[in-house]
Formats: sequence, structure tokens, C-alpha cells
Amino acid sequence: MDSALLIMGLTDHLAELWQRTGEHILLTGCSTFIAISIGIPLGVLLFRKNWLRNPVMGVIGILQTIPSLAMLAFLLALLNKIGTLPALIALTLYALLPIVRNTLTGLTGISSDVMEAARGMGMTAAQRLTMVRIPLAAPVILAGVRTAAVVGVGIATLSAFIGAGGLGQFINRGLALSDTRLILLGAVPAGLLALIVDFAVGAFGWGISPEKKRDRRGSIKARTRPMATLTPFLLLLLGAVAYVSSLSSGIGSGNFSKNTGNTIKIGTKNFTEQLLLGEIMAQLIEAKTALKVERRFNLGGTMICHNALRNGEIDLYAEYTGTGLIAVLKHPVITDPEEALHQVKEVYRERFGARWLKPFGFNNTYAITVRKKDAKKYGWDKISDLKEVAPRLRAGFTAEFAERPDGYPGLHQSYELQFGEVRDLDPSLMYKAIAKGEVDVICAFATDGRIAAYNLKPLKDDRQFFPPYYAAPVIRVEILEDHPELAAILSTLGGVLDDKNMQHLNFEVDGKRQRPAQVARVFLKSKGLLY
Amino acid sequence: MIRLERVTKSFDGGRTYAVKELSFEVSLGETLVLLGSSGCGKTTTLKMINRLIEPTDGIIEIEGEDIRSRDPVDLRRSIGYVFQGIGLFPHMTIGDNVALVPRLLDWPAEKRKNRARELLDLVGLPFRQFERRLPDELSGGQQQRVGVARALSADPAYLLMDEPFGALDALTREVLQQELHHLKKALKKTILFVTHDLFEALYLGDRIAVMHEGTLHQIGDRDELLKKPATEFVRDLFSRPAKQLAGLKESM
Repeated sequence: MDSALLIMGLTDHLAELWQRTGEHILLTGCSTFIAISIGIPLGVLLFRKNWLRNPVMGVIGILQTIPSLAMLAFLLALLNKIGTLPALIALTLYALLPIVRNTLTGLTGISSDVMEAARGMGMTAAQRLTMVRIPLAAPVILAGVRTAAVVGVGIATLSAFIGAGGLGQFINRGLALSDTRLILLGAVPAGLLALIVDFAVGAFGWGISPEKKRDRRGSIKARTRPMATLTPFLLLLLGAVAYVSSLSSGIGSGNFSKNTGNTIKIGTKNFTEQLLLGEIMAQLIEAKTALKVERRFNLGGTMICHNALRNGEIDLYAEYTGTGLIAVLKHPVITDPEEALHQVKEVYRERFGARWLKPFGFNNTYAITVRKKDAKKYGWDKISDLKEVAPRLRAGFTAEFAERPDGYPGLHQSYELQFGEVRDLDPSLMYKAIAKGEVDVICAFATDGRIAAYNLKPLKDDRQFFPPYYAAPVIRVEILEDHPELAAILSTLGGVLDDKNMQHLNFEVDGKRQRPAQVARVFLKSKGLLY
Repeated sequence: MIRLERVTKSFDGGRTYAVKELSFEVSLGETLVLLGSSGCGKTTTLKMINRLIEPTDGIIEIEGEDIRSRDPVDLRRSIGYVFQGIGLFPHMTIGDNVALVPRLLDWPAEKRKNRARELLDLVGLPFRQFERRLPDELSGGQQQRVGVARALSADPAYLLMDEPFGALDALTREVLQQELHHLKKALKKTILFVTHDLFEALYLGDRIAVMHEGTLHQIGDRDELLKKPATEFVRDLFSRPAKQLAGLKESM
């Protein structure tokens, strides 16, 4: 990695880094404080009610074993809301275990001599708790808080998946664009933040330690301790300042902000093409209307975008006809593109209060793809050509493709294909794996720029198995009623992007490391949609 | 005056007795030593007096009042207690440890501080030097001096001492025994002192009560116990040191 490039990336993103760090601190800090205010009293309760210990610790322990993404997805479904709230709840739940367990351990681990003395000298039960047990358990409780806060910084990076912002935003975007610089821009500050949080809680512990009682009056130690106690609060304040200042200076999306009526919130899923479509729509709206665009990009998947649209967390995003039909509506496959569009249009309008506008033009369907040189050598042109040789081929599929009915299970049935080996691969790894010869067949996306870049060949779907995946803007009817001009403006994008165009734009980002906003601008200008 | 009447304690619903039908009195200003080997019920007896343990049967009176009618918290604050395990609060300074009961009794800060100064000086730990230290900086002997000062802090009329010097080395123990000997004369407290150490009992006790397996074998001053042992156990207990010494000489 070129360090000059890294620094360039940093200065480009400095303002956003400030904002994301602020969000990250607020997310971690608030959830930790909530967890403390629930966890310590709960620990005390469990200490007093012995019979509650096993069931409650069991439940909290189970919560801890839920993978973070699954937890976020679950809360999303439960609350029907994206953004800060589910992220805060998830982070609080994760922070509970170390705090409650350490509170309980700290309270029970006090020498019986000391407790007997406390009782024998005439302390009431409440005094024994507040004057003896809690102060003596404090170091152990604080160790739990420290663990919770540091782990929280790590888990908070995942909140970006559900649009809660934070440093994970960079990581997400970096993963979507396979851009290591962006990943590092999120990961390195998050790592540093974890160290700082660890230090801040440690400093607080040092500040309140009984040791302070033997500091000489007026000594440096004695004067430093009160300040050390404030460290975690100062850090939280810094986070709030960073967040608020970036809000008022109008940088990027404010994830804690409310709709003001003159704002349109645009969402995207977390891959390059979506980011490009999001930028294209955003820039066009910014240029042609007085509306303020709030970018809620990189949401972690179809259902997250869909639910966000239904709840008005976003107003607009680009969806694919096949995905809407099969993944959202659970409708059987329709292979006729017109019919598929018609079907989703109808149902979305009735059920979700959303309208499908004119498709962009390209069809980002799955494409069973092989190396160009293999295709030439063996004369492969269409998917059915693989039938005989499939048992000797190694396939690399995304986990989603391996499961979806319109993926490998259906393909297997329709073409009677049975690959010798099927490996689950991350979308960004899949292309590299086939280029390097580690697998022979992949389920590429038809518009992916890497098909051309890696000399791959998509095979013809001669049995018309794959449903059409024409992308189109999907917009909430409510916002159209307030701003009817949006329909006409977005319709100017209808049909402007064919498969080749889209492949090209995707490659500008994935292959040439251009920024999506830049690529979108150039594209809009080239089409005369932007001056 | 502390009076026990047929006090009985069983921890297992009556199958065995830690203390059985124990009756005795501690007169005002007297030091009574409860002497016995471990497990004889002497610590249980002490704890029943400030209601750390409730008796199964029998009556305990302090100044003629049945302690069951007293609020346990108030009762405990009115009785000084020196614990076998010392039990200083590790997060509090020596000064705060000593002034704890006054704090529980809501004494004003100034009065608490004066009291802590007076008591620490009394037990030989200069206030200025020790007030702001934490317990873990002190030797075992120093810690138990603090323990004694703490028990005296609210100026209780009664002092219960549960093998206070049991965990200390022989030399420190002797020094503290001597100091307590002088202290009790100066303070005129009513003291109930538990020990398994015969010499400590003889040295500190105005009277000695010998306990064995939960029952009282004999109570009296040292002359009575030495000259007129009431039971075989008491005779054996008091003649054992002489026998041990003889045995030691022989083997050398």
C-alpha cells in the first residue's frame, strides 16, 4: 500500500472521519452508560436474590452468543426501524454480560472477615452494600465496564450495516468497493479508539481508587485524580461535539437527524453498483430540485433497504425486479421482464405505498461465468454446454446464491447441473478466485466490471432460468405527493444504462479505484443530464 | 451487666448443640474470659450477645433488658466488638476505620476526628502518622490495635473481644496483652474476652469461665480454678502446661 495514497485518502475524508468518530464514540459511550445503569443494579439484585442468578445469567449469556449481525437483523425486524435505535439496543445487550457478571463476582468475592465486621459493628443491610460491598467490588465492576466498552467499540463498527453510522461506515464502504484504504480508514481509528476507551475507563478507576487517600495534599497525584475521573465523560463530550459540529456544517448524512420535509433520504445496499445508482440519483436530484439529499448508503442488504423504505427511514433506493419479486414478495419466478416489472409495480403500490419508476436499462442478473480461455478451448457458449463436464468443475458461489431458489438449487434442477465441488465465496473474492484458477465457474453479476477486467465470459442462459433483474428507482408514494417533480426527474434516467455501460461504471470504481461520486458525476455529464 | 440464662444454640435443629444451657453473668467493670478449645462454643456465645447469631433458647439480658427487645443494629452499635479476623475495611483510611461507628451514629465530622485522634494515640498509633494510611500498609499487630480503637470509638460500656490476638506472633501478642491489661484498668469497661490461650486468660481475666463442648464447666477467679477445679476437664486443663514442661525437660 502506497503511503502517499493512504494520506490522500485521509485528507479527502477528514471531515467525514471526524463525524464518524463522533458517531462511534456516541454509540459506544451511550450504550455503555445505559448498560452500566441497568447492569450494576441488576448485578446487585442478583446478588441479593440467589434464585434469580442462574436464569438471568443464562439469558444474558445466550444474548452474548448471538452473532452481532444476526442480533442487528433481529432487532431490525422487531423494531421495524433502521438506524441508531436498534444499534444502541444491540450494543447495550452485548455490554450487559461483562458488567452484570463482574458486579456479581465483585460483590460476592469480599472477605467474610470484613463482612462480619461490617455486620457486627452495626451497619444496616443497605449500609453494608453501599459503604462496604460496592466500594470494595468497584475495581472488579470497573474491569467489567472496561471490557464492555472496548468490545463495544469493536461491535459498533457493525452498526453501519443498519445505517447507524460510525466508523464501520468506512469499513462497509471499503468492503463494498474492495478498497483497502477505506477499510483501514475505518479500522485503524476504531482500533485506536478502543485503546483510548480502555485508557479512559482505566483512568477513571485510578481516579476513584482508595489509594488516593494516601496521596499527599497538593501533590501532582492528588491534583491529577479528579481529572482522571472525568476522562470517560470528556471522551463522550468530544464525541458529541464532533457529531454536532459535523451536523451543523452539513457534512454527509446525519444518522440521528429527523426528516425536515425538504429532505429526501436515499438508501443503497452495500455494493458498488448500488452506490453508483445512489449517487447518480442523488446528484441528479440535487441538481434539478431544491431538495436536500440525505445519503443513507451501504445498508446491509435487501430486506434492510426494503423495511427502511416502508418505514420512511429512506424515501428512495434502486431495487432489481427479480429481487423485488422473489426475495421481497416471495413470488415464483417470472422470466418475462415486462411481466415481472408489471407484477412488482402492482404489488408495491398496493402493499407498500411505493412506486417503481422507469428501469435504468441494464439487467444485473446472475451470470454463470467461466474464464474466456476455457470457453474458447472447450467451446462453451451457453450454460447447458457445462452439463457433461460439471462434475469435474469447481464452482465458487456466494453464500446467497448457494441458497436462493433462483440460485444454485434451481439451476441444478433446471439444467441438471451438478458441480464436482461448490465453495462459498465472498462476492469480492469470487472474481479473484476464478482469475487465479482456484475455481472454474462462478455466479457473477452480469454488470460487474470485473467480468471484462479479469477476462471472463458469462454463458448464455439458454433455458431462461434466471429471472430478470432490471434495476429501477423505487420511491415512496408520500414523497412523490409532496414533490411530484421527482417522478419526471428520475424518469430521465430510464434506459440510459445498458449492461455494458453499467459494467464500465462498476469497473471505474472496482478496478480503477475512482470514487463513486466522481464516476456518477462524469456519467451524468456525459449523458447531458448534468452540466 | 450482661446476664445469660440457660442459653442454648443448635445449628442443626437440635441434633447437636454448639452451646447448651449456658448461664453466667458479667458484672459491671469486670473482665470475664471465656476459655476453651476451638469448637467449644465460646465464639458462638459472644456472637449471640450482639445478635450476630440468635439463640435457640434461653435469655440474654444487658442491664436487665432482654436483648431480643432491642433493634439488632442499635444493639451492635452500642457494643464494642474486636474481631478474630480483625476485619478492617481495606478501602477506608485508618482514621475512617476508627471513626466508623461514630459515622453510623451521625456524629459531626469534627467530633469524629477528635475521637479518632484520641483513640489512635491511646493504642499507640500516632494519629498524624497513621490517620491517612490504608490498612494494608500496617503490620498485623498495628491492624489489631486499630481494631481495638475502632471497637472503643463510640465509647461503649461493653466490649466483646473474640480471640483478638490469636493471629499475631507471640512477641506482638505479649505486648498487646500488656497494653490491654493497662487499658482495661484505665477505661473501666465491662469486657467479655474469648481465648483458647490459658496464660492470656489468667493474665487478663478478673474471672474465667471454662467451656467445653458447649457447656460451662466452671466459672471463678484464678485461685478458685487452680486450687479447686470443679471437673476433671478443668483440672487437666490447668495442670497441662506443667506436665508439658516436665515432659520437655525429660526429653532433653
